[in-house]
Amino acid sequence: MDRRRFLKTASLGLALPVLAACGRASRDGAVQLEGWDYEAQLVQQNVTRFTSMNPDVSVSYTPITSAQFIQKLTAEFMGGGGPDVLYMYDDSLTSSVEAEYLQPLDGIAGVDEIYHAIYPSNAAAMTYQGKRYGLPYYTDMQSLVYNAKILAQAGISAPPKSLDELEQQAIRIKQAGLLEYPIGVAAQLADTAALWLWALVYANGGDLFDDRLRPVMSASGSALTAVYEWVQRASQRSRVLDPASVQLLPVPMDNAVMAGRYAFVLAPRYALRSYNDPAKSKAAGSARLAMVPSLDGRTEGTVSSTRMYCLGANTEVKDKAVRLLKYLGGFDADGSPYTAKFWFQKRGLGFAYTQLAGDPEIMRQLRTFADPEVYAHLAQVARARKATAVAWYAEFEATLQQTTQQILTGAVTPTAAVAGLDAAAGSLAKRYE
Amino acid sequence: MIRLTDGRRAYLLNAPALLVLLGLVAYPIGYSLWVSLHRQNLKRPRATKFIGLDNYLSLWHDPAFLTSLRTTGFFVLLVVAMTVLLAMALALVLNESFLGRGVLRSLALLPWAMPGVVNGLMWRTIFDAKTGALNGLLTGLGVIDSYQAWLSSPTGAFLLTAFAQVWNTLPFAVILLLAGLSTIPADLYDAARVDRAGTLQRFSQVTLPWLLHPLLIVLILETMNAFKAFDTIYVLTGGGPGNATNVIAVLNVRTALTYTDFGLGSAYAWVITLITLVISTGYVAALYRRGSFEL
Repeated sequence: MDRRRFLKTASLGLALPVLAACGRASRDGAVQLEGWDYEAQLVQQNVTRFTSMNPDVSVSYTPITSAQFIQKLTAEFMGGGGPDVLYMYDDSLTSSVEAEYLQPLDGIAGVDEIYHAIYPSNAAAMTYQGKRYGLPYYTDMQSLVYNAKILAQAGISAPPKSLDELEQQAIRIKQAGLLEYPIGVAAQLADTAALWLWALVYANGGDLFDDRLRPVMSASGSALTAVYEWVQRASQRSRVLDPASVQLLPVPMDNAVMAGRYAFVLAPRYALRSYNDPAKSKAAGSARLAMVPSLDGRTEGTVSSTRMYCLGANTEVKDKAVRLLKYLGGFDADGSPYTAKFWFQKRGLGFAYTQLAGDPEIMRQLRTFADPEVYAHLAQVARARKATAVAWYAEFEATLQQTTQQILTGAVTPTAAVAGLDAAAGSLAKRYE
Repeated sequence: MIRLTDGRRAYLLNAPALLVLLGLVAYPIGYSLWVSLHRQNLKRPRATKFIGLDNYLSLWHDPAFLTSLRTTGFFVLLVVAMTVLLAMALALVLNESFLGRGVLRSLALLPWAMPGVVNGLMWRTIFDAKTGALNGLLTGLGVIDSYQAWLSSPTGAFLLTAFAQVWNTLPFAVILLLAGLSTIPADLYDAARVDRAGTLQRFSQVTLPWLLHPLLIVLILETMNAFKAFDTIYVLTGGGPGNATNVIAVLNVRTALTYTDFGLGSAYAWVITLITLVISTGYVAALYRRGSFEL
């Protein structure tokens, strides 16, 4: 064989398997599981347990960068592919259903039992137009986290119940020279929701939309207007809310809390696990959980977020995919929600199952970083965002975050801000008609 | 055997490259124009339909677009003005003979080698309100009493974002102007000195006319760069606070990739292209035939 022929044969030999791999459907009977890249090793560990219990099912798990998760899924589904089982944010459920990437779970054996066993706010977050699309991965609720040590140094014995009380306590801390800006919120523009703001509105029993998803932000007595007035007062007048909040994403905010730089933050419950971890946090042992303060100090509420497992619309291995789905988001053979408990025990992720709130192992672990009573009470009063049921939620959330930054910097008045949001929601609704 | 003329052979030899260019450049550009004439949002694939110029017409009533356009206008003006002035000053300095000029020229190129995302992350760290080097430096020098949140005010964020963008793109402008400066015959300066021309006169009567063409290129390229500035801004401020740095490229990427509204996103992209084209034509009309030298 001469050199030329050898090169030809060799290149053909190399190219053919590559071309064949491109053309072949990448299924091979395996269930394709895709999720954002949170703790991929733990996910694989849990998936391996599933495949060892179900030897006839093979699972191919692909973690995807969380910042591009939805975009990559969209590209996959548009290309006619897409996973069989996938993670989903409650924020993106509606748009994914409208784009026909997901299939409903109604009628699948065991789904009713799962929905009866979880908190209503989680069930609502996974339901769209009366159909159920997800099984719970994890959930969490926004809470007020305070540093008890800093409060004690300022002579404060109990956390605030009202927003006025929160401001007054922050002023005392500031005047005591303990912190220049005692309150922090993660108000940097982000693709994820500004849940701290929703929590303040929900803590007052209000909402941004009515039951028919019409904007009520600028209506008389709107909770958002009152919340914006307080936010602007705290940031511009009493200057207890950190102006750097507009640059703050959740992780840097967590780091600041753990360094003892904030006395109060609005954060999800599971953050307490890190805040009170002596290996990570200078504030360990001092970070405490409290209800989200309201305007009158009596109304209670907060917002929940739900992450779920869904079934791809184009799955060709539905039976196996459903088994994996139910393993991840449902019950084990002994009737316990194994995976939900697994995630709480491994990383402190909140669970949607009410029965876990009474689980002795969970309670023992929970007591190491949070008050179980407040933790459970937040879950009971939490509500899912109705607004996620509109296809234009992502656009609205971005406008909401921009407007909130304008409130924080004093660039706009609360009345003008809510009027602008109202108009933006109306315009988005029209564009999506 | 078929005999090819030189012209046909040239087309034949260039055909593979032309095909690649057509497939990878011309087709996507043409397709984006076609998409911009549709209502096309991947959230609602079944609702895709041809709507003619509706996406373009809707822009004139779109407050997000109009605000973004205004912000972009100021941003481009500031960035191009700062770049041209600083690049000219730096090029004039680097064109002089002094010890260490070679090292300084190499160092001046460094920011250009830095990807926009890295540039954004670097300045974000420097401007950080809690741990930023700028706060450390100014506090150490006694200029400020306490750490400041530099990016938390709309004006501060806008100015610092423009500065970060200039820092990234300045070296390229310097290279172009340096190349222009090196072509100016030394005789002209000698003659000007004989005529008793001062420093300013030599600059305005000799240097500037000879630099008009490199300046034209710098203006066109920097204007295009400033219009499409995205990565540094996205990392540094995300477009905030509020919409203080929400330039049209950020709005465009968000609309097309985050909200998956490819119809409107493509319309934004075409508007940016048209505006850049108009401005570039204006530059050419104003500068190309100017200059007191023969081409």
